[in-house]
Amino acid sequence: MNRFDMLSETVSWIAVAPQLFLLLTVFAVLGYDLAARPKSKDVHAFLTALGVGLSGVAVAEQYRRSYNGTLDGLTSFSQMLILDGSSILVNGALIVVLALGLAFAWPMITGMGTYGAETIALMLLSTVGFMLMGSSLNLMMLFIGLEIGSISLYVLAGIAREKTLADEASVKYFLLGSFASALFVYGVALFYAATGSVQITAYFEIFQGLVNTKPSLLLVSLALMVVGLLFKVTAAPFHSWAPDVYQGAPAGVTGFMSAAAKIGGFAGLMRILYLGFSQLADTWQPLIAAIAAFSIVLGTLLAISQEDVRRMLAYSGVAHAGFILVGVASGRAALREVMFYIGVYSIQLVAAFGITSLVSGAASSGSARSEYVGLGKRSPFLAGSLALVMIGMSGMPVTSGFIAKFGMFQVAWTQGFAWLVLVALVASVAAFFFYLRVVVDMFMRDADDDTEVAVGYPARVALLSVGVVTILLGIRHGLLLDFISKIL
Amino acid sequence: MSFPLLSALVLVPILSAVVVMLLPKQRSELHMPVALALSLLPLALAGVLFAEFEKRASFQFVEISDWYAPWGMSWHVGVDGISMPLIVLTAILVPISLAASVNITDRVRLFAAMVLFLEACLFGVFISLDLILFFLFFEAILIPMYFIIGIWGSEERIYAAVKFFLYTAFGSAVMLGAIVALGTISSRETGFVTFDYLRLLDVTLTGTEQYWLFAAFAVAFAIKVPIVPFHTWLPDAHVQAPTAGSVLLAGVMLKLGTYGLLRFNLTLFPEASVDAVPIMATLGVMGIVYGAVVAIAQTDLKKLVAYSSVSHLGFIVLGIFALTQGALEGGVIQMINHGLTTGALFLLVGMLYERRQTKKIDDFGGIAKVMPIYAGLFLFSIFASIGLPGLAGFVGEFMILVGSYASLPGYAVVAASGVILAAIYFLWAYERVFTGKITKEENASLSDMNAREISLMVPLVILILVLGLYPKVLLDRISPSTDGVLERIAATTEYEVPESALPLGGGAHE
Repeated sequence: MNRFDMLSETVSWIAVAPQLFLLLTVFAVLGYDLAARPKSKDVHAFLTALGVGLSGVAVAEQYRRSYNGTLDGLTSFSQMLILDGSSILVNGALIVVLALGLAFAWPMITGMGTYGAETIALMLLSTVGFMLMGSSLNLMMLFIGLEIGSISLYVLAGIAREKTLADEASVKYFLLGSFASALFVYGVALFYAATGSVQITAYFEIFQGLVNTKPSLLLVSLALMVVGLLFKVTAAPFHSWAPDVYQGAPAGVTGFMSAAAKIGGFAGLMRILYLGFSQLADTWQPLIAAIAAFSIVLGTLLAISQEDVRRMLAYSGVAHAGFILVGVASGRAALREVMFYIGVYSIQLVAAFGITSLVSGAASSGSARSEYVGLGKRSPFLAGSLALVMIGMSGMPVTSGFIAKFGMFQVAWTQGFAWLVLVALVASVAAFFFYLRVVVDMFMRDADDDTEVAVGYPARVALLSVGVVTILLGIRHGLLLDFISKIL
Repeated sequence: MSFPLLSALVLVPILSAVVVMLLPKQRSELHMPVALALSLLPLALAGVLFAEFEKRASFQFVEISDWYAPWGMSWHVGVDGISMPLIVLTAILVPISLAASVNITDRVRLFAAMVLFLEACLFGVFISLDLILFFLFFEAILIPMYFIIGIWGSEERIYAAVKFFLYTAFGSAVMLGAIVALGTISSRETGFVTFDYLRLLDVTLTGTEQYWLFAAFAVAFAIKVPIVPFHTWLPDAHVQAPTAGSVLLAGVMLKLGTYGLLRFNLTLFPEASVDAVPIMATLGVMGIVYGAVVAIAQTDLKKLVAYSSVSHLGFIVLGIFALTQGALEGGVIQMINHGLTTGALFLLVGMLYERRQTKKIDDFGGIAKVMPIYAGLFLFSIFASIGLPGLAGFVGEFMILVGSYASLPGYAVVAASGVILAAIYFLWAYERVFTGKITKEENASLSDMNAREISLMVPLVILILVLGLYPKVLLDRISPSTDGVLERIAATTEYEVPESALPLGGGAHE
């Protein structure tokens, strides 16, 4: 394809509409902030809500077209981007996470002066990056998406550095994150060396019919790319940065940071494994399964000994990454279950971190368990929400968490990973211990003081919706599962 | 379409719980009465269920609708003679537990809501004919019970609640693995995964599969019963739980284990069940003797009743795995009897605790003088529990012993010692607490039971008498279903059901 083809190609705007709306909002918010220097953040709120809303409408339109089969051209921008079921679902999940994340971050945004507008802009930008990642059909595109998303997050981690000990978190995140990106891009280079292309499908197309060919260069490239992405999703043994970063970063944005990075990372991972290297499934499936088991066991064990709720959530995130990898290892047959798990878990993650920001303060670093003692009496709504989220994350029935885990187990068992299911089952029992410990602190111990925790209006709505969705999907999980499978 | 009675049974308590939570916080005098009134609705539904229940083996009041077809899950519910009595028992015990909880003054709304939610889950377990649905309710029960023990329990409540939760959750996890495996196996022949109990009955399992799956299910249920080596959570949970928690725990929740063994292990894995008889019967007899011996040594009245439960549940396990008509029927009716008698005993112990803030046997002595009605009702409940003829406990244990003698004579002989031991530990405890002179001054001014407390006991006393004198009313409904279980075992394995020497088996096969 030469330069002129590229220019004459009709650009499929619908493929990038959600990203464009978010980008326009970024410019609008920053421009307004720069020009007007306002004291309040009311206009910011309006602009952001409008932009995120329009972006959500665009995703809905993508879904509608995909459902009707009228999506004009699956690929666009010279095959850089693809708009298929999974990219639409990733867009949707990211928009939901962004909206929830903004709701929880809002007290922090309004309290930090000019940095407030930047926080909004960075959250939106990183969403754009991860959306691009989920839609990439080209490894360079995927890398660019990854970097847009990640670099925004590095800055976000340090955005409140005067107030907190976020310096360390930010630097650590930046150094280790860049290292992971470097590994990834090295993998891309080797891929190019082996195939002469950076299209994700290149290997598939070149070696079609030569199933037995396993060029060692490609295997190395696959390993590097996968490791780079496993860093982003905090799978063990590439997780060591996560607890420090999620403890140190300002509480208001931590939930968004962790959830968005996971969605983007898994989207990229599945793109590469399912689309690019499906022929080598026999090679990568056992390895991913091993990493899944390791993540589940290690994350659970380390979470048990945490005294800080945010560190606990970070380690439990390692275990959850392992659970999602159980589905990834099971191959493309598990795509529906993986999407369900990611959707269900990411909103619970945002809510859980959001609650820690309400309890310990929006710009705080760390959230000691002692701060939760007696919360059930002081702030029943907040404590009830956190209890529900904890019960959901632990995978108890009547919550979406159970269905998500059950789906993983079932698909993994049918795909021959029975041992992995058994490991995961045992670990989930151990996991009850640390999830319930928070519930014990909140409901079964009495506090000395009885100061109520103030919960703002946006956070209240966000918590209520997460709670309703968690229970609703625990009972009528078909609603989301059908929604997913209709366009996959 | 007829009225979906079983769905209503699950939904009504859940909606009631929501209603209770929505009551205004300030009107605290309303919370418990409203909850109590609402808990009478499921009782009425259970009454209808009992009245309209037909004496046949197949499932009745069946409702089936898709839940999520791609995963082979459905809302498939129905009751037979094994589950119906347990549902009625649950519906009776819940209002009594609520009415007994006058000493709960902290977060009453939450407490009542938890009890009602627990009730919904218990109904759900007994009506589920889909394994995932069953598991969902089976596991969800842990949540309200965990809160009930952990928030409103005694000093060591947090330890007890967590121990209870982790123990039973471990068992459930093993069972979930087995259920997932069973689902995969079910797709082997048809290509479709199903968790429907009735369809799974038709799935052919290899011998090895049966053994593994039997073991996995058995571990989960053994922890719940609890069968002896898995019982250590029970005394802690019972002693720490508030009265309502203890009543429901012993009265209904322990039966989830025996119900599961009977419903799922025996029918889904008949071959493994037949082969496991020596192991399960040994465990049952061990439980009978061990529970009774440990009960003798207890100094805490509540712990004594808890260990007596271990012993009585051992009888039920033996009855189930004796694989004879009489023993199986006896096992089912013993589940009901134990629920009534132990429920009564926990209520009584709770009343004593409310007066004296202690449950230690040594802190009492001669209190029959000041509490004659209480002493009378206590003695009545003890006799019912020991199995005095004419009271409920007798029927079940007698049927189990005679029934199991036909197939497992040696076990039955050892098990019979449990009855004698029960007399020892209960009567000795009675003697120390009630008879003689009042040894402690504090006890001299104890007040006897008031009208409210007596009214709580009345329904239990009546039922214990009715089931003791006229067990046919239940046996007629139970026996077609238990016979069906045995017929299935006889049809699918080489096991031959011994002709039971017991004519007590009710009118169904006269």
